[in-house]
Amino acid sequence: MIESQHALEGVRVVEFSQGMAGPWIGRMMAWSGAEVIRVESHRVPGVVRLYVSPHEPERGIQPEMSPWFTDWDAGKQFVAINLKNPKGIELAKRLVARADIVVENNRAGAMEKLGLGWDVLKQINPQLIGLSSSGFGNHGPHASYVTWGPNIEAMSGMMQMSGFPHREGATTQYAYPDALSALHGLFALLCALDHRDRTGEGQCIEIAQFETTVAMLGPEMMGQLNHQRPPVKLGNRSQNMAPQGCYPCSGDDRYCAISIRNDEDWKKLGALPELGSLLQDPELDHLEGRKRETDRIDQALTAWTQARTAERAAEELQSLGLCAGVVQNTEDQYLNDSHLKARKAFEQIPHLKKGEVTAVGIPLGLTGTPGRTTRAGAALGEDNATVFRDLLGLSEAEYAQFVEAGAIEEDSPNL
Amino acid sequence: MNPGALAGRKVLEITDASGAYCGKLLADMGADVIRIEPPGGDPTRALGPFFQDQPGPDRSLFFLYMNTSKRGITLDYTRPAGHALLLKLVRQADLVVESYPPGFLARYGLGYPELAAERPGIVLTSITGFGQTGPHRDWASTDLVAGAVGGSLYVTGEAEDPPVSLAGHQNHLMASTTAAASSLIALRHAGRTGRGQHVDISIQETTLAVSHISGVGKWLDDGIIPRRVGSGLTASVPSGAYLCQNGRVYLMVNRPAHWAALAQWIHEETGNQEVLDPLFEGPSSRRIEYRELLDLFISELTERHTVQEVFQEGQRRHIAFTPLFSPAEVVRDAHLAARNFFISVPHAAQETLRMPGAPYHHDATPWAIRRPAPRFGEHNEAVYCGELGIRPDALQDLIDQGVV
Repeated sequence: MIESQHALEGVRVVEFSQGMAGPWIGRMMAWSGAEVIRVESHRVPGVVRLYVSPHEPERGIQPEMSPWFTDWDAGKQFVAINLKNPKGIELAKRLVARADIVVENNRAGAMEKLGLGWDVLKQINPQLIGLSSSGFGNHGPHASYVTWGPNIEAMSGMMQMSGFPHREGATTQYAYPDALSALHGLFALLCALDHRDRTGEGQCIEIAQFETTVAMLGPEMMGQLNHQRPPVKLGNRSQNMAPQGCYPCSGDDRYCAISIRNDEDWKKLGALPELGSLLQDPELDHLEGRKRETDRIDQALTAWTQARTAERAAEELQSLGLCAGVVQNTEDQYLNDSHLKARKAFEQIPHLKKGEVTAVGIPLGLTGTPGRTTRAGAALGEDNATVFRDLLGLSEAEYAQFVEAGAIEEDSPNL
Repeated sequence: MNPGALAGRKVLEITDASGAYCGKLLADMGADVIRIEPPGGDPTRALGPFFQDQPGPDRSLFFLYMNTSKRGITLDYTRPAGHALLLKLVRQADLVVESYPPGFLARYGLGYPELAAERPGIVLTSITGFGQTGPHRDWASTDLVAGAVGGSLYVTGEAEDPPVSLAGHQNHLMASTTAAASSLIALRHAGRTGRGQHVDISIQETTLAVSHISGVGKWLDDGIIPRRVGSGLTASVPSGAYLCQNGRVYLMVNRPAHWAALAQWIHEETGNQEVLDPLFEGPSSRRIEYRELLDLFISELTERHTVQEVFQEGQRRHIAFTPLFSPAEVVRDAHLAARNFFISVPHAAQETLRMPGAPYHHDATPWAIRRPAPRFGEHNEAVYCGELGIRPDALQDLIDQGVV
């Protein structure tokens, strides 16, 4: 039996990635113990690196300082290769030959154009597991189209189906399809790894983020598919629980989310004096009655929530065994949420320039093999020497030749 | 049918609405997932809407989608006879996935130490609102409350509205997906070292991670708390929904080259000179203070065209314009049709159920619906008699006693 402290020890991942949907997969694998090498180029710096610090706007773009880069790329090694250069392609292939997993999320067809399509990579490394993630996948009429997460939110129906009935839709500020396709990509890769561990067979995986996002609306789409009827737009309400919503509390833009899950919850709500009289109404003892009368109930609940802070409201309701929580923003979560603090939900990561930075923790919950993040804030090509000499075994002279040929990018030109 | 990447993995699932998707992910990839339901009826079978609008235990669209490829048995493991049966099942399992409040299984002698004693190296994955530790571990949670405490609600919707939830059960789905991935990581470790573990998934924390693009690192750096701002993204200018002649398109500009292409198109079509000003060139941060002006320029372009025209011509110019679809438009989209994305699954005798298909495509071990969601108690005989060796008359006794 192998003694290993980190669950994914011994797995090597090479990334040709952009934004969040690809890189976040490598970030989670690195946290779990994998060795992750991200290939970048000074010619096309990742959009996440285009960061202008509000403290030093006069310094322009500072690629190492981006907090998004910490969030999605901490814990990796970074090499800079010019993939338009034949010697650069040779180097990339030598990296792939030593990899277990390759992750790419460029525009469909981009890797083939570089000469790094899957049929090529599979010949170099027959046991390779590859993941190719893009907005529309590798085939179909829209395959080569440019998209970002919010485009997919719009096209999948997520935007139009969400939000209050009087609105045309609702949009997240977090490019939800990026995150959901990254998590599905991580799972899909681990399935392939499980299969390879037992059979020795590698394979490639294709993700079309459009499809993955529509799959997150399964039951809702089934109404449309089977009955030609879109789901009823409910805002924060639910077909199976009433009342439910975000109720305004004292202060500016402060809300407490409350779900009355069943008839027992409704009875418990009678402990609030503002709700007392409603509890006498037998119509409201069952879900259908409460759904009909939600406006009236919401009014009474609002009278109660408005008289207290969101924190107080959530605590009082939870102490009654009811389901409630503060609608938290980033500051609430980081400074005031004693529970997140006790669970160390934020991660302190050594940063090569700033000393230390804080990032949202990786929520994999591996209590037996807790993960860790070694560092953030590496520059493009920071690990060229380590990776090319130690891993690929280039001699000093060979290394110099690759630099000379412009394949290994050593210096950071002005962006 | 290819047996799937996870063929041979055996999973027991004891979940409510928050954890069912975890089992679906594993089962559609070939794991043998046995869903254990209470003999009195599984509450998630009562979640509407229903197939053809007829309520019934085998007709909930939620249940039919979230439980594909699983087998289903009934068992009351809170009673001694049921407890013993569950431990027998545990002996054959690699993984148990559950989503009941912390301590609930332990109260019935089914905590991680007991499971590991029965089956060394087993992985137990627990999905709960707040996790297994910390001051709020016993707090109640729903998808909405998870979105509240996790931070996804605060940054969704219009600035002048209260925070608003996405359609469906997105916070639960992300917790389930994380749980499925984490379970496989733990299984790999168990296979190599013989050591299993308890995987502790907090839906608050998975929601926090999923919505962290507007998260803590950026706020600590610039002091700006991310808020709801309608359809555009604060950090990307321009971005958002724009009106066309017959609907709306969504536009996102992140790269300097994409801005240049958009400015050029606006200039060509509307004669606008100002849009070519070098002031607007470069990364998004340079354009932030001109957001409203640029929105005006873009609307002058989009309002001249249909959604399809903006989509096709925009994409021809490598600009990230996409239509803003209703569900009716999604189900008849040509791209999804060309890829055969929507699939048919048998339901009852002559009925067929349409649903979304593969979220990913493995070329050697393809995703597949192995069987439709189980009918109530459908696999009792196969599992109890066929696999645990219980005689049919003894099974009937257990059913009569309400244990199965």
